[in-house]
Amino acid sequence: MTKLKPLGLITFFVLILVNLPFLVIIPSSFTAAGYLSFPPEGFSWQWYTMILERPEFIESFWFSIKLAAITAVLATLIGTLAAMALHRYKFRGKGIINGLLLSPLTVPSLIIGIAALLFFTRIGIAGTFTGLLLAHILISIPYVVRLVLTGLSTFDYTLEKAGYMLGARPLRVFWDITLPLLRPAIVSGMIFSFLTSFDNVTVSLFLVAPDTTTLPLAIFTYMQETLDPLVASISSVVILLSLLFIVILEKVYGLERLFGLNSQSH
Amino acid sequence: MSKVIDVELRSLMKKFQNNIVVQDFNLQVEQGEFVSFLGPSGCGKTTTLNMIAGFLDPDGGDLLIKGQRMNGVPPYKRELGMVFQTYSLFPHMTVAENIAYGLKLRKISKSQIQERVGRVLDLVKLPHVADRYPKQLSGGQRQRIAIARALVIEPSLLLLDEPLSNLDAKLREELRDELKRLHQEIGVTTIFVTHDQEEALSLSDRIVVMNHGFIEQIGTPKDIYNRPASEFVHTFIGKTNRLEGEVAGHEGDSLIIQTIGGLLVEAKSANLMLLPGQKATVFIRPEKIRLSADTAPEGRNRANGQLKLSSFLGSYTECEVQANGHSISVKLQTVDKGVELVPGKAVSCSWDAEDVLVMPAERG
Amino acid sequence: MTMNKRLSILLLTAPSMIVLLGVFLLPMLLMLLLSFQNDEQAFSVENYLLFAKDPYYAEIMWRTIRVSLWTVLCSLVLGFPVAMFMAQATGKMRGIVTMLILAPHLISVVIRNFGWVVVLGEKGWINEVLLALGLIKEPLRLLYNELGVVIGLTDSFIAYMVLAIATSLYAIDPSLSKAASILGASRVRTFFTVTLPLSLPGLVAGTTLVFSLSMSAFVTPALMGGTSVKVMPVIAYEQIMATLNWPLGAALAFLLLGSTILLVTLYTRLIETKRYKEVFSS
Repeated sequence: MTKLKPLGLITFFVLILVNLPFLVIIPSSFTAAGYLSFPPEGFSWQWYTMILERPEFIESFWFSIKLAAITAVLATLIGTLAAMALHRYKFRGKGIINGLLLSPLTVPSLIIGIAALLFFTRIGIAGTFTGLLLAHILISIPYVVRLVLTGLSTFDYTLEKAGYMLGARPLRVFWDITLPLLRPAIVSGMIFSFLTSFDNVTVSLFLVAPDTTTLPLAIFTYMQETLDPLVASISSVVILLSLLFIVILEKVYGLERLFGLNSQSH
Repeated sequence: MSKVIDVELRSLMKKFQNNIVVQDFNLQVEQGEFVSFLGPSGCGKTTTLNMIAGFLDPDGGDLLIKGQRMNGVPPYKRELGMVFQTYSLFPHMTVAENIAYGLKLRKISKSQIQERVGRVLDLVKLPHVADRYPKQLSGGQRQRIAIARALVIEPSLLLLDEPLSNLDAKLREELRDELKRLHQEIGVTTIFVTHDQEEALSLSDRIVVMNHGFIEQIGTPKDIYNRPASEFVHTFIGKTNRLEGEVAGHEGDSLIIQTIGGLLVEAKSANLMLLPGQKATVFIRPEKIRLSADTAPEGRNRANGQLKLSSFLGSYTECEVQANGHSISVKLQTVDKGVELVPGKAVSCSWDAEDVLVMPAERG
Repeated sequence: MTMNKRLSILLLTAPSMIVLLGVFLLPMLLMLLLSFQNDEQAFSVENYLLFAKDPYYAEIMWRTIRVSLWTVLCSLVLGFPVAMFMAQATGKMRGIVTMLILAPHLISVVIRNFGWVVVLGEKGWINEVLLALGLIKEPLRLLYNELGVVIGLTDSFIAYMVLAIATSLYAIDPSLSKAASILGASRVRTFFTVTLPLSLPGLVAGTTLVFSLSMSAFVTPALMGGTSVKVMPVIAYEQIMATLNWPLGAALAFLLLGSTILLVTLYTRLIETKRYKEVFSS
């Protein structure tokens, strides 16, 4: 038990460290001063009202939400179908398909972004919403496939057999038995896809049109020129929104399981 | 008296790729009968059950249920009940919802469903768990509910796929008796798949012993135990002593065999087609052998030797006797006080000619 | 039945395969072809040779590797104790630590980097505190140099290290360290002779992963390294988006990918000896 103490101290230190950005951003966003300072001076909502005066942030926020939502729905649908084929059937080329589905995880986003830009320019969808959406779906699919495959790995197919024996037809069995039991995995896949898309910078960087940009990218660009409490207030909004999703994710699936998959994939 | 045949399998055959896993399977199951498929894993018993259930299509032969040819009919149209080894209760439904599921699919009215669910829960003696989820039940309770779920739709045939294998020893026995009681009460035609000979012996009207995709024997439990059709059936159904030798001659309706170790074994009502000089194998069940301390001279069905091991197992004691180069195991009721079981002691084994089984050695 | 099965497989996998083909495989192929193109759009290995000829690029590559190695080291030194703590902690405590170390990962790296800029800047929290305490006379330069990038990257990737190591620590039978101490090994000795060797697979996985991620990281070097810490991803980006020399940008990206794979392969070959394979083969 004495061994726990130094370990506990280091752990505490690391936990503070990785959460420090948020511990700093949120107080900073309420500063009354016109610049970032420590400790934040006074208290004011001014940097929050300021957001409303910056249409580019509001627009990119809604743009990001829309992009992430469509990505989540489509990536979950596509990924779930593929995972079901992989788990249920034995067929030639299964290993290759499995490897392919996870490959976007093993290639750096930077390269995925560049490759997509070059190719999309050729076929004329560079800088379009479709192009951006496709790339976001691509990087979300591996997570969905992994999550649903894990969900399926504990799925007992004799439950489906039991359903058939009781007189349920295949679609009925899928709807009444398979789908409800996979729901946690599918919902987690959807939330994870949403966050993957919503957080992404490196792929979006190459694919957005000049006039429509995603929120993280807008912050990224803004930050390279100006550092003021406006970034803090926008970030705080995003943090709160993300926290909401994270809590749901933890409740539905458990973060540990989620990341267990994530780290194995590389 | 005419018998109603509920299930008929005619030369049923199944292969996976080029492996034939079930071959030449012929069986008629009468209404109300309890039939077990018994055999080691990989013998084809589960494959046969899956063909009856409709999860596999036979590659040859016919399957008839209630006189209707069922080849190619999907499981959900067969109106059968099935209980699985892994219970397979739907974890997202309560006990009542699990049981009601099959009834709902049959568009039965709510009040009727409620009544029938209640009745079947009473039948399995678990009326108080209706609102619980499967997770909140013990293994034994889960399997009772699974049985209830299968029975509630009043299936024409109940299929049991090793339903007791996942339970621990004590529960297994309890649920075995429960199955017996249920079968006596409702008399549903039942096919039971198991690798446990005790389960098969205690529950069945008839047993189908299978090995390597073939039927070795079909018979009542007593037939199977006392008159095995093959060495496989005999050895699979319980412990036995196996002595090799050759036929020495005939004596009335008895057959005399001399074992390799020089013992003379007399067998009554054995296969008299065996000719003198032919190699034969003799089987004697350990519980049919008596042990005594007297040292009468050796004779027919009597072997003198030395006690090597004895293990006290509660209601009985297992002994190993070394005699004439044979190692003979003997199962004694513990109440026997005739012999003091000290290793090294000189003892004498004897048995009756009626309890000896002889098979030609060529069969394997 | 088999017709049915084939059709099902086709229908289920087709959408994902179309996305993979159109958004990943074909683009990668095109990018590879393009990287072998010179100014006259003819085939040439010129872009790749630039590396050997121009010390500027070699210097950037070396910087990228250096920053990545430091990140691995920091993540390992800080992450291993956390993983050990998690392995020894009870269920509830373990859950809390897991949550606190993982949750930040689901928030955009841009925002996390911004937080660090606020902390590490010249007028940031650390400098203000140290100045106020009189420990330093001038603000420390913690940002817009390699140190800043390493801090940012460590923050970004330490969770992968912790999880990889924790996973292999969870798999170690707790009675092993009891067995070691009954045999007379001290705590430290038990750690170095039992725990550490048995956690090697997690350690290898963690270090490899953090290294690969650091090598290709773009956002953090851009935000926390500024213009002074140019790494490979940053110059590849510049070639693509600013200079518009796509063949060179593509070549730089592939060089980065290739060298990462090469280094990781060498590293795992070195660690995964015959004995390692015998012990950990499943």
